[in-house]
Amino acid sequence: MNARAPQHDNVVTQSLAQIGQCGLFLLTLLAAIPRSFRYLRETVRQLWFVGAMSLTIIMVCGLFVGMVLMLQLYHVLSIFGGTSASGMVVALSVYRELGPVVTALLFAGRAGTAVTAEIGLMRATDQIDAMEMMAVDPIAYVATPRFLAGLIAMPLLCCVFCAMAIFGGHLVGVTWLGVDNGTFWSNMTAQVDVHTDIVNGVLLKSLAFGAVVSLIAVFQGFTTPPTSEGVAYATTRTVVASSIAILALDFVLTAFLM
Amino acid sequence: MTEPVRATPDDATLVRVRGLTTVLGGKTVFDALDLDIPRGKITSIMGPSGTGKTTLLKHITGQMRADAGSIHVDGQDVAGLSREQLYKLREGVGYLFQNSALLTDFDVFENVAFPLRQHTKLPEVLIRDLVLMKLQAVGLRGAARLMPNELSGGMARRVALARAIVFDPQLILYDEPFVGLDPVALNQVLKLILTLNQTLGITSVLVSHELAAVQQIADHVILLAKGKVVAQGDPKTIADDGSPWTRQFFGGEADGPIPFRYPAGDYAAELGFAGAAK
Repeated sequence: MNARAPQHDNVVTQSLAQIGQCGLFLLTLLAAIPRSFRYLRETVRQLWFVGAMSLTIIMVCGLFVGMVLMLQLYHVLSIFGGTSASGMVVALSVYRELGPVVTALLFAGRAGTAVTAEIGLMRATDQIDAMEMMAVDPIAYVATPRFLAGLIAMPLLCCVFCAMAIFGGHLVGVTWLGVDNGTFWSNMTAQVDVHTDIVNGVLLKSLAFGAVVSLIAVFQGFTTPPTSEGVAYATTRTVVASSIAILALDFVLTAFLM
Repeated sequence: MTEPVRATPDDATLVRVRGLTTVLGGKTVFDALDLDIPRGKITSIMGPSGTGKTTLLKHITGQMRADAGSIHVDGQDVAGLSREQLYKLREGVGYLFQNSALLTDFDVFENVAFPLRQHTKLPEVLIRDLVLMKLQAVGLRGAARLMPNELSGGMARRVALARAIVFDPQLILYDEPFVGLDPVALNQVLKLILTLNQTLGITSVLVSHELAAVQQIADHVILLAKGKVVAQGDPKTIADDGSPWTRQFFGGEADGPIPFRYPAGDYAAELGFAGAAK
């Protein structure tokens, strides 16, 4: 793919042009999916890299998010004598918003930047051109496996994050602050709806965020100027653009799914 | 526009460039360029920096499209090829990048095996034998399990060469293969290029500034400047053809037809002495 972008005068037209290019790049990626099936091993390798290697940060952050959420809720709910609902509120907050959003933000910082930097350096060292010269399609071999890996990894990571957050909430609420164990679980299971909270909240949102973060990361890597400064800016842009896209998309999805 | 002339597979010319015109960023890189690359020979493309030598190689391999003109490789119009046809053509073309462009995730063995794994379904034992044969040819069989970051510049260049010849291509394009090499590594690469040409009959296109090296192995030299071929001929005699281009380029003169100064506006005006000059 020709990474040379046309020059635009101001920030608005530049941003619009980038979004347009990103959209076209998405079409190229989707068109390359059938060709990328022959590189299944590469997709699995990337799944390990962006998914399994992100587990530690996701688990630790999930645990602390759940712990701090329970701590805050307990103190607020205790004013109204509603601490028995704390487990349920933690679960709903995590499933509907915090789980997918925080996982996506962490995923963008951990895996998105790594993907952008890796592809950017491959461009800077002519590895992408070398693949072209060896008659290997770099979109099918490099871009699509990373995109698919992000798409598959995000919902799985989000599930792990949510599980750890509930565990953290339980740890603080039940073990430390003395919320009744039975009340904690029964209120939660009574109020959490599988379709609204798990399918729409956890799975659908995280799938959408995974697609957006992976697309931005791969696009930035492929279109970065092949210099060290270019790679540095591209990784920064991945985090900034992903964060904005995640939060904006979260609002849109919530508005439609509620 | 010059009428494109097709080369047939039995033609003595493997690459035929006609009327090639390329404008990049408002600058004319090629201005109706015509040149021929003879089959089975080593042809060196020389010229001052920024004259478009690497761009020419990218045009030959279809990595870049020209604004006008045509390039025929082994009788095929590169611009008219579909993606699949272009990839098929590239399987018969080796390309040695200036910085070797080895895949940093893979060791030396896997780098050389990469094209075989992507385009063939050969059994592992055959891939192993083929890779070891190519590595033996470049003297690096013992380095098969080293990673690219463990190689010297010369070794990386030789691994890239082994990878470029793994399909026994009919054409190899070398982009500045001697840059940054010490005299020993330079001579090793030089010898390899010559051996490959003589033993396998591979057509070689060599982009280089190293006149001494080029004189040792090249059959034909083409000097590019200002988007055109300004001189061509035998590498041993081209420097003495009397043209101001060859005199400046091969004599290493700082100024001449290849200007020392980049085009700029009026010097006095830029310094603020415009009034005084009048």
